[in-house]
Amino acid sequence: MATDKELNDFLESVERRAFKQAAYAVRKDEAALDIVQDAMIKLAEKYGDKPPAELPALFQRILQTTILDYFRREKVRNTWVTLFGGLGRRDDDDDDFDILNSYEAEEGTAAAESSADHVERAQTLQLIDDEIQKLPTRQREAFLMRYWQDMDVAETAEAMGCSEGSVKTHCSRATHTLAAALEAKGIKL
Amino acid sequence: MKTDDINLAYKIRHALNENLDNLPASTTERLAAARAAALARKKADAPVRAAAQAGRQRPSFELRSVFAMPWLGRVAVIAPLVAMVAGLAGIYQAEHEQHAGDLAELDAAVLSDDLPLTAYTDSGFNAYLVQQQQQPQRAQ
Repeated sequence: MATDKELNDFLESVERRAFKQAAYAVRKDEAALDIVQDAMIKLAEKYGDKPPAELPALFQRILQTTILDYFRREKVRNTWVTLFGGLGRRDDDDDDFDILNSYEAEEGTAAAESSADHVERAQTLQLIDDEIQKLPTRQREAFLMRYWQDMDVAETAEAMGCSEGSVKTHCSRATHTLAAALEAKGIKL
Repeated sequence: MKTDDINLAYKIRHALNENLDNLPASTTERLAAARAAALARKKADAPVRAAAQAGRQRPSFELRSVFAMPWLGRVAVIAPLVAMVAGLAGIYQAEHEQHAGDLAELDAAVLSDDLPLTAYTDSGFNAYLVQQQQQPQRAQ
């Protein structure tokens, strides 16, 4: 059984990555924070008595489900908003546009205050971030779970609800796509 | 996957981890608050386990502990139990006697009636009774 401290340590170790993972999927920081909070609460409420070793796979599964729930709610909300005058579509377009713009602006502001190397490094990190966000959803999920969350193929397949073969295919395609995209931008890691 | 691909994947992982340190303070604070909220609602297993252990260590009634008490304490525990058993026995006895009395009354009424007992087993007599009951209804 996970003690309060073990659960706290676990959540602390995964919260930032979980936030980025959710942000890649939903492209809205506020929504991503809400998703991570929901996932954390669900884990604590329903599986707080599980052994610490089981927590990573459970949390990843809950996070994926919570992201899916968010998209379902958004779909329903957009349907209703569209019915009442198509305001939803305009808002969404604005949101997407603003997020991308603000990312670039923040990067520029931070870089202006740093050294040339820092600027270059920050730009590279941002480009990698952008390229990961551009990946198809399933490829991104598989790639992040396998190589960022340290989950093995079986755990990733369980969390994604697909076969282990599919996980390997998604990971391979994601890596090739990222390699090609970074090479095209002249980035060498 | 080829070794080059795996190397690239781990370099990207390194870059992603590096990027985590650049998260805004407001985001990290929100995450910490979310963690605190989650911990506050953690599934409570410890109190349940403690209660279960306490229950196991000290059952609600143990006969040995009664005999370990001083005599006044022993009387205080045993006397109500004896009174309860005596009361239950008395109630059972009273109910039994009342039931027997009711049966005796019924038997006496049947035996002392003008009608002989064999009349109740006679099917012709039953038909006569039914006919007698139907006649007043027709008259009405």
